[in-house]
Amino acid sequence: MNTAATLFLAFPAVFIISLLFEGVDRKVHARMQKRIGPPIIQPFYDFIKLFNKERIVPVTASSRIFTAMPLVAAAASILGAAIPLSNIITETSIVGDLILVLYLLAMSSIALMVGGSSSGNPYGAIGFSRKMSMVIAYEVPMLIAIVSLAFNPCHSLTIYDVVWTQIKMRSPLAFSYLSGAVAATAFLLCIPAAAMAVPFDIPEAKTEVVHGILVEYGGPYLALIKLAKATSSFALTFLVVTLFFYTPALFEGYVSLGHGGNLLLCLATALAFMLLTITVPRTVFARLKIGQAFKFYWIIPLMLSVASVVLSVLGL
Amino acid sequence: MKLGVILRDALRSLFRKPVTVQYLTKAGEMVPVPERYRGKIIYDKEACIGCLLCIRTCPSGVITATEEKKVKFNIARCIFCGQCAETCPKDAIKLGSDFEMATHEKDELIIQ
Amino acid sequence: MKKPMIGKPDDVKEIQVDYTRLRIPFGPVHPALKEPVSLRVTVRKEEILDVDIVLGHVHRGIEALAENRNLVQTLYLVERICGICSHSHTTCYVQALEEIGGIQPSERALYLRTLIFELERMHSHLFLLGIMAYEAGFDTLFMFTWHVRENILDLFETITGNRVHHSMNTVGGVRWNVTPQMIEKTSATMKNVEKSFKYIYDVFQDKTVEKRLCEVGVLSGDEARELCVVGPTARGSGVDMDVRRDYPYAAYNELEGDVSVVVRKDGDVFARTEVRILELLESINLIRKILEKLPGGPISQEESLLKLMRKIPEDETVSMVEAPRGELLYFVKTNGREGLWRLKVRTPTIPNVLGLKPMLIGCEIADIPVTVASIDPCMACANRITIVDSANEEAKIVGLDALWRKRRGGEK
Repeated sequence: MNTAATLFLAFPAVFIISLLFEGVDRKVHARMQKRIGPPIIQPFYDFIKLFNKERIVPVTASSRIFTAMPLVAAAASILGAAIPLSNIITETSIVGDLILVLYLLAMSSIALMVGGSSSGNPYGAIGFSRKMSMVIAYEVPMLIAIVSLAFNPCHSLTIYDVVWTQIKMRSPLAFSYLSGAVAATAFLLCIPAAAMAVPFDIPEAKTEVVHGILVEYGGPYLALIKLAKATSSFALTFLVVTLFFYTPALFEGYVSLGHGGNLLLCLATALAFMLLTITVPRTVFARLKIGQAFKFYWIIPLMLSVASVVLSVLGL
Repeated sequence: MKLGVILRDALRSLFRKPVTVQYLTKAGEMVPVPERYRGKIIYDKEACIGCLLCIRTCPSGVITATEEKKVKFNIARCIFCGQCAETCPKDAIKLGSDFEMATHEKDELIIQ
Repeated sequence: MKKPMIGKPDDVKEIQVDYTRLRIPFGPVHPALKEPVSLRVTVRKEEILDVDIVLGHVHRGIEALAENRNLVQTLYLVERICGICSHSHTTCYVQALEEIGGIQPSERALYLRTLIFELERMHSHLFLLGIMAYEAGFDTLFMFTWHVRENILDLFETITGNRVHHSMNTVGGVRWNVTPQMIEKTSATMKNVEKSFKYIYDVFQDKTVEKRLCEVGVLSGDEARELCVVGPTARGSGVDMDVRRDYPYAAYNELEGDVSVVVRKDGDVFARTEVRILELLESINLIRKILEKLPGGPISQEESLLKLMRKIPEDETVSMVEAPRGELLYFVKTNGREGLWRLKVRTPTIPNVLGLKPMLIGCEIADIPVTVASIDPCMACANRITIVDSANEEAKIVGLDALWRKRRGGEK
């Protein structure tokens, strides 16, 4: 299939798969608390229901920014998730598209942030300042961990080149190189903050600031924001699988799975990582305060990602 | 340093049945009603002697006297304390186990 | 278009506005608050500078209603001041009436009252621990604690027929007797919940929970004594006070040696939570002792309630019990004709809520829900309004409809 058609079909695929991932996350979270939980297709029902509700824009809000930001956030994160997905299928990449994907995911977070503060609500202003601190905290280790890929062994920042290196080595990057393992750990530690899950869902805390940046959003805007959040968590877990844990590489040379098989295996691994990094921390930890979260991110993940760059330069 | 202490219990609950009782969404599922439960009032009209002592002890004004020297209960106001059942010298009032009393007709809530 | 001029041109002054301060209404309606209380906090970035507390959103006019009802009707009115501490309210009221009328309840009745009292204390503390976990963002512990609470509510249903608002008390005794099967069920439940309580204590010492609860909302011992806070709020700050030991009532006279009071010195939110968790374990011991020593005999007086009510003369008294949240005090003045001149209820949340101001100043916004939950606010108990007319120097209590009429611009 040619690239343009795949990219076009990837948008509805991302929409459906990321909402299914969110449904599984909610169901597993409920079962761990001895509850029944919503059905797995509940996010689809929520999305459709929210579009039937009234569009309310507060009087004190800057209405153009307020109404535009959810759309920007949703569009950015859907595109950011569609790119790795289509790369796996078509086996080609644009040069430097890893940087494009990271930029789109960051833009989605920042669009949410700006939208929250433009609502004119004091809770929105508090959520905005918290989210700014969080973005500074988690983006730095994430980007430095990705930079380690630019050195040994991949020597490039294009997604399919990293995948091709893993296929040639017949094992995922995290299992064969120490720098890969350390970078993967740093990246995984940053995912709960980027996906806004407890213990790092501080900008969006329900009991402290009434949902912070989401406080004035309802109706179709809220539907787009929930879609943006679901697709950006899907994008992050899929990115981790593509870059560091490409499991179809284990089967290379033994059995040929075909494009469909590769994709399904990647999605299954992405689901497993989502359960590990988003659902389990959400169930097992309490929420931290902003000062403590900031200190945490600037100590452990930063050290790990800098170590991964150093190891990668040394060739390990 | 204890971290993630509740993980063991969470994983165990993941593989067991949930504790929710699906009352009304699945037919026939209900938690059994205890025997001392104070539900809808059951009034024995023959045993009533019309002493009207229950009216004096009712906290919410549920009971009113009728012309034929008996009483009438408006259980829309009732708080189900059971004081009338205790006060009645002839045991004409009992509180049963019925608690599903929601209705569209206000007349169904008058017991005589 | 010309803008209208307000004031003369040389009257216009420069006002200094401090734009770094923000005033947030932690309003009557908030996901963190279970009951409406208005906290207006002034913050700068995330640090709290000042707190303004406003109560009164659930005023129901209970003291005014009590003046128009006879003694038995007031018993049920008083029970419904609060859902969780309902037995404490009825016990306090009934003790006051028994003291005025000289009625002595039987031994078995006193022991049964104390049994339900301790079970209610366990219920209330479990409720609060779940709320505390929820405010800290820990949903799973909230669900777990409330699942354990269901065991105790099952016990209530078996013994009294209702989960809350048990209506166990009556003047001169109790209404429901306890059969041997119920005693066995109680002992079995106590064994089950003991394991769960120890597990809950473990989970509350988890590192992420500790980071939220330790060293926030600190109330020093001197401030606690000055503001007269009561209950676990005071015991968490080092003040050693407990009505069950200092002024024993009901069956606590005979269980003197078994009541041990838990005191912690740190004064932060974790100390108060720890006091409550350890009190849960103490309650298990007390219940086991009560079941061991339960005497036989009648559970209520032989005369009917209406005859007893006529025997109560005109007199006044003060009665105190240790509700789950602290010391509960009632002033009852009967009028000799089966009615009341005055009923005054001083619930433990009224002094505790004043302790919020020194606790919150200097903390972050993220600490507000946890601190408010740690004083165990029961706002339904705490709303009383007294109108003091300083011109005529008289004070009167008002009912709710009088306040409504006044608001709509009617009479005074």
